[in-house]
Amino acid sequence: MDLLSFARGPALTFAMAIFVIGVLWRLIGVLSLPAWRDDSPPRKGAPPAWLSALQAILGKMIPHKTFLKEGMFTTVNGYVFHIGLAICVFAFAPHILFLKSLFGFDWPALPNGLIYAAGVITAGSLLAALVYRLANPVMKLISRGNDYISWTLTFLPVVTGLAASSHIGARYETLLALHILSICVFLIWFPFGKLMHAFLFVFSRGATGIRFGRRGAQL
Amino acid sequence: MKNVQSLGALMEERGVSRRAFLKYASYVASLMALPPAAAAAMAEGLAKARRQSVIWLSFQECTGCTESITRAHSPTLENLIFDFISLDYQEVLMAACGEAADAARHAAMADNKGKYIVVVEGSVPTKDGGIYSAIGGVSNLQMLQETVENAFAVVAVGSCASFGGIPKANPNPTGAVAISDLIGGKPLINISGCPPIPEAIVGSLSYILSFGKLPELDHLGRPKAFFGETIHDRCYRRPFYERGLFADSFDDDGARQGWCLYKVGCKGPVTYNACATLKWNGGVSFPIQSGHGCLGCSEPNFWDGGGFYRPLPTPLGATGTVLAGAAVAGAALGLGASHLARKHQKNYLAAPKSEED
Amino acid sequence: MTSSCANSLAPELPAHKKTGMAEPVLREIHARLESFAATGQTGAIDLAGMPLTRADREALEAFLGRGEVSATLDVAGRSEIWETAYSGVWWVRHWGGDAVASELIEITAIPEILKTDRTDAAGAVKRLALTLQQRDRGSNGDGA
Repeated sequence: MDLLSFARGPALTFAMAIFVIGVLWRLIGVLSLPAWRDDSPPRKGAPPAWLSALQAILGKMIPHKTFLKEGMFTTVNGYVFHIGLAICVFAFAPHILFLKSLFGFDWPALPNGLIYAAGVITAGSLLAALVYRLANPVMKLISRGNDYISWTLTFLPVVTGLAASSHIGARYETLLALHILSICVFLIWFPFGKLMHAFLFVFSRGATGIRFGRRGAQL
Repeated sequence: MKNVQSLGALMEERGVSRRAFLKYASYVASLMALPPAAAAAMAEGLAKARRQSVIWLSFQECTGCTESITRAHSPTLENLIFDFISLDYQEVLMAACGEAADAARHAAMADNKGKYIVVVEGSVPTKDGGIYSAIGGVSNLQMLQETVENAFAVVAVGSCASFGGIPKANPNPTGAVAISDLIGGKPLINISGCPPIPEAIVGSLSYILSFGKLPELDHLGRPKAFFGETIHDRCYRRPFYERGLFADSFDDDGARQGWCLYKVGCKGPVTYNACATLKWNGGVSFPIQSGHGCLGCSEPNFWDGGGFYRPLPTPLGATGTVLAGAAVAGAALGLGASHLARKHQKNYLAAPKSEED
Repeated sequence: MTSSCANSLAPELPAHKKTGMAEPVLREIHARLESFAATGQTGAIDLAGMPLTRADREALEAFLGRGEVSATLDVAGRSEIWETAYSGVWWVRHWGGDAVASELIEITAIPEILKTDRTDAAGAVKRLALTLQQRDRGSNGDGA
């Protein structure tokens, strides 16, 4: 079997299976734990739980003004590569077709030129994030293997995707196979590392919001 | 039959001058993207060459490759190849049949020992001693091995001979293999395609005749002159791909406007062939121009490539079932984990307080 | 060259449209002709290797025009060769059956294919000698 057929076939199926198993295991494992019992009465005028949760999830999209200046780079750069990744993943025609084969529906794509530009910007932004992590003494101190692995496995698909679409470095089929294999590794790692924040941030922010809202604490 | 006269002398006997070689060489050089100056060298090489003995073996094939080469677009020019080679054995075209045909093959092998070219069309079954395809009681495997032994070069014509083709497709009941798996170290060209573009066959044979060596080959043994570029990189519909204009289904608005066929299964991006430039039937059209996506027919295992109408990004394999099973497994693990956690919490809370806790 | 049913479907290539690709070809012809005039260096341009539409090709042919010399070849199909209005620029069109098989623009004193190869002449000498011999032998010899 050649590399591309392996990547598109057994490798991708295995990786997607691990991704589904892992995500459901962690999510259901956490969500089916007993709910936090707060026996104290809610503060007068406390909003309903769902509203506090929503306020926390959306409100924390921008840091509080106290921390905004200090956290400006991480906030802005973070949005740049998150939005860049979203554009590359969800607005590129071949990716849309891949998702259509899984979910059955599709949506309009953006022109390829825009995707390539977004990809380049995303790669640059990810590199900037790594440099910041290494250069900032606090970040460097608290960073672990989990952070660096998560960064690498996010960066590789972007870079291999750019290489494949521009035919740089090897034959197209090899580059495409490497791109798909990098996604396979990403998917296998995803549920077990920091990348799981993609699903968990909603629940952790929500839980904090519910607790604070009930007690009338400011988020 | 022994051919000791040069091609030049042979053509001269028929009253055809050296100009025929120049015209032919100019045509082939153009096909293979050789510089016009190479035509003169090619013509000279051809004129000096001996009439090349060619033995054409047919195994597990549909004869489409023979049909392709005999449907010459420029018959006066392309049929010259049949003057330049001595097609000593070809089951479709030769007059003899049965034992007489076989005798012709053996005679050609003996008379041209070490100098003849073997062209192979079709794959070779190997299961159960190769009994699933035999001619006159002789298995293809045996016929190939005995014919190739004293050959100068082997040309595998078509995807079946080059890579195994449809006989090798899942589940491959006859144990079909490509010719490259069976001929040891013999010089080999693969001219793949289902069928190959006739100019690719004619051009490659002419190159061998003129220059006495194989043209530059890619990693799959295919001549780079015809298989150096992907269909995608030479497709005239490429601008639509880049702009995101696709046909969503056959005969819809996009299809009628000639938009890219990626979504209806075109395998152009991973297929190397000359269809987008040389085209078929002498430059009339090619599948994409006629509104159908590329099948990838010049690539190995294209029959098992995920379906002609499923787009390239579709994963191979039964993903739906696997993912459904994975979801069940993941949910079970999650519920199991939280159950264990609850039990642990209950035990912890119920246990009497002691120094160890 | 395109089938008639193609008209109702997608326009594949704008055969009737001029893309302007003839321009760079003309520039190359100019450069090579300059070189030939100065040093005698010959050149050739393979038109099949260019992305020229039918309209481009016709425009190129119309621009270059016809000169004093034209010849028809009858070997392995028909070929037409003519010197364009620009001395030294020759158009070589090879037909293979009903369609053009290859097309070249040669910048040279005379295209190679028009010249007689001396090996052919050697063969012709033998034939001529034989024919003369037969004619000399008597009234039974083939006169024509």
